[in-house]
Amino acid sequence: MSDLDKAIETLRNCRPIPEAQVREICHKARELLIEDGNVVTVSAPVTICGDIHGQFHDLMELFRVGGQVPDTNYLFMGDFVDRGFYSLESFLLLLCLKVRYPDRMTLIRGNHESRQITTVYGFYDECLRKYGSANVWRYCCDIFDYLALGAIVLGASYTLPPPASPDIELEVRNANNSIMSNFQRHPNSINKIKEQDQSRQDEMMATNGAGEGSGSSPGKTGPPGSGASGYSSGSVGNPAGAVLCVHGGLSPLIDTVDKIRLLDRKQEVPHEGAMCDLLWSDPDEIDGWGLSPRGAGFLFGADIVKVFNHRNDLSLIARAHQLVMEGFKEMFDASIVTVWSAPNYCYRCGNVAAILELFEDNSGLGILSRSNGDANRSDGGPRGVLMENELAAPHLGPARRYRVFQAAPQDSRGMPAKKPVADYFL
Amino acid sequence: MMAQSVPHQTTTDMPQHTNPPEKKRVKVYELRNNDWHDRGTGFCSATMATVGNGQKEPRVKVESEDQAERVLLETKIIKDDGFQKQQDTLIVWTDNGVDMALSFQEAEGCTLIWRFIDSVQQTYQTAGNGADDGLEDDLAMDNMQATIHLPPPDLRSLAELDTHMRAMSGSPAGRDALAKAILSEDYIGKLTPLVEEAEDLESLPELHRLCNIMKTILLLNDNNIIEHAVSDENVLGVVGALEFDPDFPEHKANHRQWLSSQGHYKEVVAIDDMMIRRKIHQTYRLQYLKDVVLARILDDPTFSVLNSLIFFNQVDIVQHLQSNATFLRDLFQIFSNPAEHQLRKKEGVLFIQQCCAIAKNLQPNARQALYNNFLSHGLLRVINFGLRNADVSVRVGATDILVSMIDHDPHMIRSTIYRQLQEKQPPLTETLIDLLLVEVDLGIKSQIADSLKILLEPAVPPEARADFMGPQQRARGLPPPDPQHDAFLHHFYDNSAARLFKPLIELENKANKISVANEGVFQYLNDILCFYIIKHQHRSKYFVLEHNIPQRFIQLLFCREKHLQLVAIRFVRQLVVLQNEFYIKHLAEKHILGPVLDVLIKTLPRDSLLCSACLELFGLINKESMNDLIKHLVENYREKITSLSHMDTFRDMLLRYNQTDGFTNNGENYFVDPEEEEAGRRPTGPGGARHLMEQLTVDPAQEHYWDGSDDDDEENQHPATSNGVSPLKPLVDYTSDEDGEDGGDAVMTGATSPKDEQGKENQDPTAGLRSGTPPPPERLAEKRRREEDDDDALEQLVHKRRNSTSSVDSNLAARSAGGAGSFGGSSSGGTPPLRNKKSGFGGGSSGHGPRKITLNIPHSTSTLTVSPSSSTSATYIKSAAAQAEAVAEAEAKAQGESGKSPPPATEVAAAAGDGGTNTASGSPAADPVVAALPDATE
Repeated sequence: MSDLDKAIETLRNCRPIPEAQVREICHKARELLIEDGNVVTVSAPVTICGDIHGQFHDLMELFRVGGQVPDTNYLFMGDFVDRGFYSLESFLLLLCLKVRYPDRMTLIRGNHESRQITTVYGFYDECLRKYGSANVWRYCCDIFDYLALGAIVLGASYTLPPPASPDIELEVRNANNSIMSNFQRHPNSINKIKEQDQSRQDEMMATNGAGEGSGSSPGKTGPPGSGASGYSSGSVGNPAGAVLCVHGGLSPLIDTVDKIRLLDRKQEVPHEGAMCDLLWSDPDEIDGWGLSPRGAGFLFGADIVKVFNHRNDLSLIARAHQLVMEGFKEMFDASIVTVWSAPNYCYRCGNVAAILELFEDNSGLGILSRSNGDANRSDGGPRGVLMENELAAPHLGPARRYRVFQAAPQDSRGMPAKKPVADYFL
Repeated sequence: MMAQSVPHQTTTDMPQHTNPPEKKRVKVYELRNNDWHDRGTGFCSATMATVGNGQKEPRVKVESEDQAERVLLETKIIKDDGFQKQQDTLIVWTDNGVDMALSFQEAEGCTLIWRFIDSVQQTYQTAGNGADDGLEDDLAMDNMQATIHLPPPDLRSLAELDTHMRAMSGSPAGRDALAKAILSEDYIGKLTPLVEEAEDLESLPELHRLCNIMKTILLLNDNNIIEHAVSDENVLGVVGALEFDPDFPEHKANHRQWLSSQGHYKEVVAIDDMMIRRKIHQTYRLQYLKDVVLARILDDPTFSVLNSLIFFNQVDIVQHLQSNATFLRDLFQIFSNPAEHQLRKKEGVLFIQQCCAIAKNLQPNARQALYNNFLSHGLLRVINFGLRNADVSVRVGATDILVSMIDHDPHMIRSTIYRQLQEKQPPLTETLIDLLLVEVDLGIKSQIADSLKILLEPAVPPEARADFMGPQQRARGLPPPDPQHDAFLHHFYDNSAARLFKPLIELENKANKISVANEGVFQYLNDILCFYIIKHQHRSKYFVLEHNIPQRFIQLLFCREKHLQLVAIRFVRQLVVLQNEFYIKHLAEKHILGPVLDVLIKTLPRDSLLCSACLELFGLINKESMNDLIKHLVENYREKITSLSHMDTFRDMLLRYNQTDGFTNNGENYFVDPEEEEAGRRPTGPGGARHLMEQLTVDPAQEHYWDGSDDDDEENQHPATSNGVSPLKPLVDYTSDEDGEDGGDAVMTGATSPKDEQGKENQDPTAGLRSGTPPPPERLAEKRRREEDDDDALEQLVHKRRNSTSSVDSNLAARSAGGAGSFGGSSSGGTPPLRNKKSGFGGGSSGHGPRKITLNIPHSTSTLTVSPSSSTSATYIKSAAAQAEAVAEAEAKAQGESGKSPPPATEVAAAAGDGGTNTASGSPAADPVVAALPDATE
């Protein structure tokens, strides 16, 4: 393991590791990732991060703000590579950390984790430049094929950890850990939730008895595809409802989380179909489904998200894939959030980045809630949540803390530049 | 408005002196009644003409070439004429309300005249509104000096210079003037000494200012400035200034050190032409500027200026090299001279590799010429030398050379191989096979595997290549085989195939012990073999069956490495996807699916990649209604299947088998008790998974994907049409989603569906939500398909029935998986009765009369009376049409996308080159999605 630690140290200093070592790490990672389902289960507490795009120094800043790796449990929602000048170091560092601390690091696939995309948007060139051959790129691409397509976060708390008031539903902090703003749940909502909790429990008893999802083996936490997986139909262990994390969004071909489990994911990201949509789609202010201007995936509206969350007993979908100037953006009554973790994207966009922290439920409250799509919620965004308070509607999702941070200070990262080609004949 | 260009047939004959430099040959057009009327050909000039009262005004004049005195056009450039330059050789404007166009013989002439017009227009703009007559005298073609005065370049005035330049670069006119001033006064040359001066004084603020000034200058993105900046005398000064970036006050880059160390440039064979040598260095500096120095601050226009400078240099360099016979002879002699030093040979390979890499950017004919020249000088010998070289970088180089030639034109290499065969030499493929089996470098391995695929691919005429999506091409039948290629394949299967797949064949004696060292090879062998199975039908079939290949792959299932188990599942899946009678029989006879089932059971209930892959495979068998395989599975593994029957797929299989007594009866009783079937089909109960699925399933193209989730499948979706082998004809044809698609078509003919009615009847708690969920946007193909439907009796009836309901939800129902939207849970869709009629109803046309068929609908049951004389063929015709449409649709999608996606503001220019060039072609090389991917914001 000391080799691995050395590799991590080298990579932390933003220096590439030798090709042979990349191969070794990729093989180890493959053994790990092959055991993962298409949708990985992650237990709260967890810190959810969006696109990184090879901005290595900003990734370091992310770790500084969010906590170092074995201490903080991370979930990265893809797009580790391309655009920035240090895709290689960024991805390999994350992969090494995955191998070193498998339970503290979850990586899922983004649309840039693909051979075709990386040849166009920079990762391929970067590998070629740094190693003189495309082999490392090939190793990495092979690993991309093994990455999970999504993750489900279970056991997220309904409240922020003390000393935050239990009423606080959403908190935004800056890089220095000062609270920038927070938003309360409506006072009535807690009571409502308690009531609902009771009825929900009753209901669950009933449904479990009837064997929802699995006619022949009632109550069984079944295998993928059976509809009997505990967390996709039941609510045990989901105090605040489960959170689905996926890079892009939903697919018209996927109506349940279970359907994702039936895909054979070990392949290049296809041009269409469920797997493509999960990595390419975007939420949009439309009704139903729309064609995506990206040329792959779809646009989907609030109705789609609400139906999906309702059906799958999700309280929130966390996704990345779109630049948000404020770092994060909640939409559709906080039923879906975009998290973006590449500050000053492409070294020029001037945006801030964010990570989303969900907390472990140890309140003992055992609140069981379901995210009914018809709940009268806020209209998205931090300000929207404020409005929601005015609207006096209950908010049943997990408590969320966003940490917002800026690009790493210029001096800490040297001049971002590509490595020049050394020898030339022509 | 766009005029045709001038026919220039006389160009070359024309004596030079009749064409004075300032007069450009041009055709004058005038728009009359929407036709461009040719006013004649003449010579164009643009000047400040002196008018009567001694004032000057800008004029464009064209004198006829036939009669020197005749003036074809004389027009004053005034502000509102809206002069525009179009393409390279057209200038259009409106002259007193008449649309006019000048079509120049040469782009150069057009540019010259345009520059004049443009400068006049800019003066109008800068001079304020309506100042038509307030023109300065010094505007003319030959006198376009900037009127600005920059502060003198010395350290004291840097601050002023910086501010001044910044202000100037804000407006297009200012940029133009600034660029001219910088060039004419050689400002770059005057600034560069200041860098050292400031360094000596250790004056950081001055250095930062110099850096800012230099950035401003380069970002003017003027070709000439950039070329000037990378010239021998200036380049070090320029990058020196850029070493002190005020954005990184603590840092100093070391560009000068990098560029001045001459060790980087290697010369294998001396290039005598000084101009070319200069270009080589210049190109390297441009690349360094682009990738390193300016990488962070490059804007799109500067990026493309740099790129095009690099491109044109490379064109010149390659052009020079390939036309230089001495050079080529010297280069290739390196490899024929046994006394030559290994290092020089290595560098020779790397040199050629770099040539080929550059050639990829060239026009196809220039590339072709280069490769032809290389080949005629003995390139194959070089490749052979390189592939067998001990040095891995040489092997990489040789592989790269080979692959770039194959990418350019595989036939070029194939014909060489044919020749080798005729001359009884060992063909290139032999070398490749040897290398594939022993090579340790992953990159080489995967490139060789790809080469082996492409080289053995039957040569397809280009038009068939265009629609690689599959079905159409397949429906047309495969192109006639090329006898040469046929002989090549023959030779390959006789001599090479067994060698290539040796690691696999040898597994037989290895009792499941797989050496770790060579485990990587199986993935490539699987890739190659799957490709051959699709492309070489009978030959590969014979090979696979003879060597019992499926069982060898199955052996991989028993090894510990899960990625190898995945490879095995992949192979089985490929055989299943083909839906080929022989393979299916083979799979059943050899009990290939049993071990896969075991793997599934072993991996359950944990959710893993392996488990998903197995489930996907069985899901496919079920969805495609591959009854022979279902029968085989149930008969041989009933217990296991039963134990898995908590999953839809396996429950379905059992049900189908049971209800038809193992597919032996005519299927009558399958329909006798639809309720039971219905109950069985929807295990998830009310609100279960299927409902939403019905809502959301989109369109046949998606559906298509769903039937098989990887690229290979697309080629194999339609074995019935593709292989010329009739698909298995079970006695009873059960619905699958594919069938359902047909059913969906039937619904679409009506353009309406019973969805609404169902919606009302149905008590689904989510009904409200569902009806608020509109379907994904409809695509053209579907509309067309509806119109194409023929008028058979059933259709008519369906029509009538449908027409009575609202059309709002029609797409929704029509799109639903398995035609389920209209007819029922996906198993009992609309089609089975149609298809069944032939077998089950036994010759429906023989006067059975109308017959009652009960159809399942998700939440209610409806009864349709149909005439059994409706033809089955209609269904087939439609499904073929559907496939064709799906392809057209996919292509249309790709095309549409490229047009509509705006280049996002945040787009890094790196993407620019690739955006949408390949989009429309849909050829195998051009990947429609990648080409069209706008990658909008993330």
